[in-house]
Amino acid sequence: MATGPKVANTREDLLRVEGLTKIYDGAVKAVDNVSLTVATGEIFALLGGSGCGKSTLLRMLAGFETPTKGKIFLADEDITNLPPYKRPINMMFQSYALFPHLSVWENIAFGLRRDHVPNDQIKERVESMLSLVQLGKYAQRKPHQLSGGQQQRVALARSLAKRPKLLLLDEPLGALDKKLRETTQLELVNIIEEVGVTCVLVTHDQEEAMTMASRIAVMSEGYFLQVGAPDEVYEMPNSRQVADFIGNVNMFDGVVEVDEPDHVTVRCDECVHYVGHGISGNKGMSVGVALRPEKILLSKERPQGEFNWCEGEVVEIVYFGDHTTYHLKLPNGKVIKAQEINNTRDLSCGLTWGDRAYARWNDLAMVVVTQ
Amino acid sequence: MIKLFSRSWMIAVYIFLYLPIVTLVVFSFNNSSLVTVWSHASLRWYTVLANDADLIAAVGLSLKIAFLSALMSVFFGTFTAFALNRYRRFRGRTLLASMASTPLVMPDVIVGLSLLLMLVSMQHWLGFPERGLFTILLGHALLGTAYATVVVTSRLREMDGKLDEAAMDLGCQPFQVFRLVTLPLLVPALVSAFLLTFTLSFDDVVLSSFLSGPGYSTLPMVVFSRARLGLNPTINAVATVTITVVTIAVVASSFYQSHMERKRKRDIALAYSDKNQ
Repeated sequence: MATGPKVANTREDLLRVEGLTKIYDGAVKAVDNVSLTVATGEIFALLGGSGCGKSTLLRMLAGFETPTKGKIFLADEDITNLPPYKRPINMMFQSYALFPHLSVWENIAFGLRRDHVPNDQIKERVESMLSLVQLGKYAQRKPHQLSGGQQQRVALARSLAKRPKLLLLDEPLGALDKKLRETTQLELVNIIEEVGVTCVLVTHDQEEAMTMASRIAVMSEGYFLQVGAPDEVYEMPNSRQVADFIGNVNMFDGVVEVDEPDHVTVRCDECVHYVGHGISGNKGMSVGVALRPEKILLSKERPQGEFNWCEGEVVEIVYFGDHTTYHLKLPNGKVIKAQEINNTRDLSCGLTWGDRAYARWNDLAMVVVTQ
Repeated sequence: MIKLFSRSWMIAVYIFLYLPIVTLVVFSFNNSSLVTVWSHASLRWYTVLANDADLIAAVGLSLKIAFLSALMSVFFGTFTAFALNRYRRFRGRTLLASMASTPLVMPDVIVGLSLLLMLVSMQHWLGFPERGLFTILLGHALLGTAYATVVVTSRLREMDGKLDEAAMDLGCQPFQVFRLVTLPLLVPALVSAFLLTFTLSFDDVVLSSFLSGPGYSTLPMVVFSRARLGLNPTINAVATVTITVVTIAVVASSFYQSHMERKRKRDIALAYSDKNQ
């Protein structure tokens, strides 16, 4: 089902983090024993809600926070105790942090000047950066004379100008409005891939993580819940929390009734799930069955067979334009969501408030989670 | 009705605030040697002022002290503010914070008196310092540092700490961060701290009276002592000159500020009018 990471695992690891822990004030564990490796050229996303420790982890990579325990290696060199100005790592800040008193040109040249790069090389490098982010004609403007999207690109150019081994992105699109985000997202990935820099990005927006990253780490309370390619994390969440956090999900609680190598059935209060593959549990175990709304089909006719359907009453219809979400209230009071694509101009299944409807799904649509 | 009331209230307040100053300016052009009796307009007292060596020396001394003490205040105030804001925890931080702001609330008389006592005993034991320009300077710098600290602190607080981090990220060592990022952004605050402490020093009579020695009379001290002997229209002339200078400075700076504000708004409008975002 999953295609695996976009970057082959045979590439060498650039960043290696071992057992990194940050404890604030001797009590609050912001980051709890995190280990990870990032391959050269990879875009790695740390995804989580606020306070999950993703920013602290990023700040430790940049050198703004000292880890309480653990080690950070960059290209096999221990950089755990290097100050930020000695690390071959650059960061793009969420608020961009452009220097307001310097022009776009000087902002981009700032890092190069600190390294005493000769002037002609600075000029060359800054100009290539400006053309990379297509801001050549704004070189002499001050940051406040630019729009949000332009500022974001200056910030990117500035963080790439020193050709860092590792680029850190802190909520790279957080400050842009929705329309601009979509175009900027792809533009950002294109630029990063063109430069070929390895990237760790932090975001709370799953869409951003999924479209930009080749691997995602879902973080909660300071540790990684799951690390994997975007489709892996979405289609095969390894726990309730991950299923819940990434996208929408209907969760059924049940007990494994039949446990065979090629299929299992899970009896829930609402229905019986027939799962078309084996699971790593055993008979009698209580499990959760996660089912995404877009994998449910609604109809007015009662489906055949005894598995993978349930009956309910339409209590809410939410129209999104491209799709519609129906809230179905099951006999035991549980409400599930089903998403139907509006592929014709009249509402596809002709359901309205108060209708009886049947929800069905196929035997590979759901994921059994044990925690 | 309410409008009428509020308008006349406003006019009353303006009269209350500015009538004395207007009177002073008008009477500086009075020919009579009696301050309160108008005879006819003349520049007589400006001529007298131009020949009054004491008064001119006092103006010179005041300007000199104000300039130097403002420089010292801004220098020390900036570093105090920086220490209090950028280094979160160090021994004696609370002590420094409260000490730095004490002169703001302490009555000038107390500060002046205690400084005088200290200086007198210092001179007794060490033979240094002689009371005069230097001691006045010290007193004014002490007071000014407290004010400058407050001004710079408020600017540092509202400054984005991420800028420091960005500078460090791009290869600045801590002192370079200060020199290349923090300091340039502090310039407006430093200018206002300088103007504020300059004015404070130029205006001060209490501390100066305690700390000055023979031959060192600042302008406010001279005005004050002459006023006790009976007012002399020369004082009006001095005051008018001062007011003129101050007014020009204030008007110029507010013009400059509104010009910058308009420019900023234009720039922002320009940025957003571009199709290429």
